[in-house]
Amino acid sequence: MERPVKGAGRTTRLALLTAIALTIFLAEAQIPALTTVPGVKLGLANIATVYAVFVMGPGDALLVLSARVFLGAVFSGQMMTLIYSAAGGVLSWCVLCLLRKPLTREQIWLASPVAAIFHNLGQLLAAAAVLRSWSVMAWLPYLVLAAILAGLFTGVAAQALIKRLDQIQK
Amino acid sequence: MKVKVITALLLAAAAASAAALLLQRGGAPSPTARITRDGVLLEEIALDQVGQPYTLTLEEEGGSNTVQVEKGRIRVSEADCPDQICVNQGWISGGAVPIVCLPHRLMIEIVGGGGGLDGAAG
Repeated sequence: MERPVKGAGRTTRLALLTAIALTIFLAEAQIPALTTVPGVKLGLANIATVYAVFVMGPGDALLVLSARVFLGAVFSGQMMTLIYSAAGGVLSWCVLCLLRKPLTREQIWLASPVAAIFHNLGQLLAAAAVLRSWSVMAWLPYLVLAAILAGLFTGVAAQALIKRLDQIQK
Repeated sequence: MKVKVITALLLAAAAASAAALLLQRGGAPSPTARITRDGVLLEEIALDQVGQPYTLTLEEEGGSNTVQVEKGRIRVSEADCPDQICVNQGWISGGAVPIVCLPHRLMIEIVGGGGGLDGAAG
């Protein structure tokens, strides 16, 4: 894709991307829930995750993701939600990494809805483990539909971001 | 080519979810509410045998939820969690979808009909 950034440049990029993701995450947390279904939201911070996986690579993306998930839980004061975000985040990260090779640079947006589905599935599995009941799986159809819509939105946004940043770097 | 495969899978997932939502209908004939925390049963209430409406408060170190019980239905009326999802879910009287309070690991689900308590045992 492009030459790997190393050293201070890489550290700066990682820090910047984490700060951006965290800011988006906390800003979005201020918006009241759109529905009564737990876990339904746009997940705008995942624009940064998609960008990180496809442009900076899986390892760096995992660093940004884990820093954002942990600090997001600290700053929003909801440590209990850490389990759910972490489970969703790691599962969707795996899916993004799997889709990294087969998709071309113009098709990155399509990875996002798939990752979003697995994000919500991961959250539900974590909730099922915490509540020790499979009843929460009744939410799955709602969460899959919401994930496809939200994932398309963040995917298109990430695609636009990558395109613009490519133009700047030329 | 890969785009087509992924798009097809997404459409299939959307269709399956929509179908599951349409099929997920019908209440229990004798609804029983089961309130659990961490999977441990706290309360079991036969909702069709509730006379006067009442509330109960469920406390734990992380916070508390106030549950309101009426004949045939149940809801969380107050919670001190930040997201208030369990409160916003409102009344439930049947169906597959439980009320959950993830911050307090609390779940209220309706079981009923054949399994669990029958009318005479309540």
